[in-house]
Amino acid sequence: MNKAIYRYELRQRWSSVGVWAGSLAGLLLTFMALFPSFSADMAVINQIMENFPPEFKAMFGLNALNFATLEGYFGFCFVLCQLCLAIQAANYGLSLVSVEEAELTADFLLTRPLSRPTILTSKLLATLTSLLVTQIILWAVSLASIAMFKGEVHYEPRAIFLLLGSGLIFQLIFFSVGLLLSLLVRRMHSVTPWSLGLAFGTYVISAFSGILGDVKLEYLSPFKHFDPGQIIRDMHYDMRLVLLDGLLVVLAISVSYWLYQKRDITSPS
Amino acid sequence: MRMYFRELKAGIKSLLIWTAVIALLINVSVIKFSAFESNPESLAILDTMPPQLMEALSMRAFNLTTLEGFFGAMFVFFALMAAMAAALWSSEAIAKEERERTVEFTLVLPIPRRRIVTAKLLAALSNCALFVLFTWLISVIASRSYAPGKFLFDFLRLEMLAMFMIELVFLSLGTLLACASKTPRRVGSMAIGLILGLYFISIFVGMHEKLTWLKYLTPFSWFNASAFFRSGRFEPHALVLTGLTVVIFLFAAYFTYDRRDLYI
Repeated sequence: MNKAIYRYELRQRWSSVGVWAGSLAGLLLTFMALFPSFSADMAVINQIMENFPPEFKAMFGLNALNFATLEGYFGFCFVLCQLCLAIQAANYGLSLVSVEEAELTADFLLTRPLSRPTILTSKLLATLTSLLVTQIILWAVSLASIAMFKGEVHYEPRAIFLLLGSGLIFQLIFFSVGLLLSLLVRRMHSVTPWSLGLAFGTYVISAFSGILGDVKLEYLSPFKHFDPGQIIRDMHYDMRLVLLDGLLVVLAISVSYWLYQKRDITSPS
Repeated sequence: MRMYFRELKAGIKSLLIWTAVIALLINVSVIKFSAFESNPESLAILDTMPPQLMEALSMRAFNLTTLEGFFGAMFVFFALMAAMAAALWSSEAIAKEERERTVEFTLVLPIPRRRIVTAKLLAALSNCALFVLFTWLISVIASRSYAPGKFLFDFLRLEMLAMFMIELVFLSLGTLLACASKTPRRVGSMAIGLILGLYFISIFVGMHEKLTWLKYLTPFSWFNASAFFRSGRFEPHALVLTGLTVVIFLFAAYFTYDRRDLYI
């Protein structure tokens, strides 16, 4: 690892992390601020809903998200947070090395007396640090907003911790897949369409799940692996899927190292 | 004119990808619809769902066992995709020149800057119009097997018009961002951030009666599918606000781009 690159990358990411964490905080606070008025009306409706067949509720992802409870409400909000987290992580992964080629700074960077793995490691660690900072802010804001707006409602802290705990690995999946994608294509002009496709595509797949019946398409989507409804219901992750995700992250990053090592860099002519 | 065609050609791949994605979305949802059609009971559960939630997912007032109700519930996805496509197309067209260091070449051509913006804007506008037309076409084709009535086609026309209006708003927003921003690299993310923010605001609008004033802030609430489903027309304030934002954003875009120091 090279300290200068690490520091430079971190400085570059700083404002972006601020904006993402700020919007996450805004989203969480606004949502949780509505909780007190929401929970009052919901208790009655939830009772009625319990009488309905589970298939119907599955269609709307309401099978496990009980809106009258704090963790159910937080779970609904957390899906939106997941969407933001996914876009952020995919953005970082996709732009990690491709930005140098897009902005024609790759030949400057790669003529430094540093090996490509060293460069990649420094950049990786810097981004990892920024993702960690985002997570810390997410934790802090979530816990603070819950403490502020929970009122008299009792909730299961374990569910909240499990939800929040899934954030980092969730981001790592999108980050590593993004990095791999950016190295698989010859030249990436703009990152945003790719990261949108990655994040929204998998989000829509997971939103449709349960409707398509036997189709196992939803297992492609990390949103399904860390489905808040399932986490709150079972009080644990689906360990096989989490292991699979861990494997995917490691594999994607290793392949990225290999691809970057032998990559033909487009340079300005 | 030449610049317009060049931009159009550059955008064709992106248009095709977006069209393919929306075609997939529509077809998958129509498959999903077949589950509702055969299940009249599903209507009953929708009536008892929490109103805030229905509002948040903008499924209120939609009878999901009919095709028009189903397309009404789908409108949120159409609107989101249209907004993203429009904002990305218009901002990319201008920002990419700076990012790829071709802006010096373009700007030394004997053409005023505003004509360049116009050409790019028109190309993005054509893309948007084509995108809506394709969506329309695909929806009509996908719904054919369910013996659609005249009401569906009328509603679809209205929905596509609303989609186009939303595109216009975000088209001008994207242009403004790209024209005014000093860091072309960030324009795409800024546009997406704004779209997501506005979308989340439109979710909040339905959640609490004290927040209804927020609906004037976001185009996703101006064109609320459940409202124009019932009334069969757009609310006047939606049309006025659309017109105003488009004019203001475009004016600001031309104004700033003419005076702007470029990122080289």
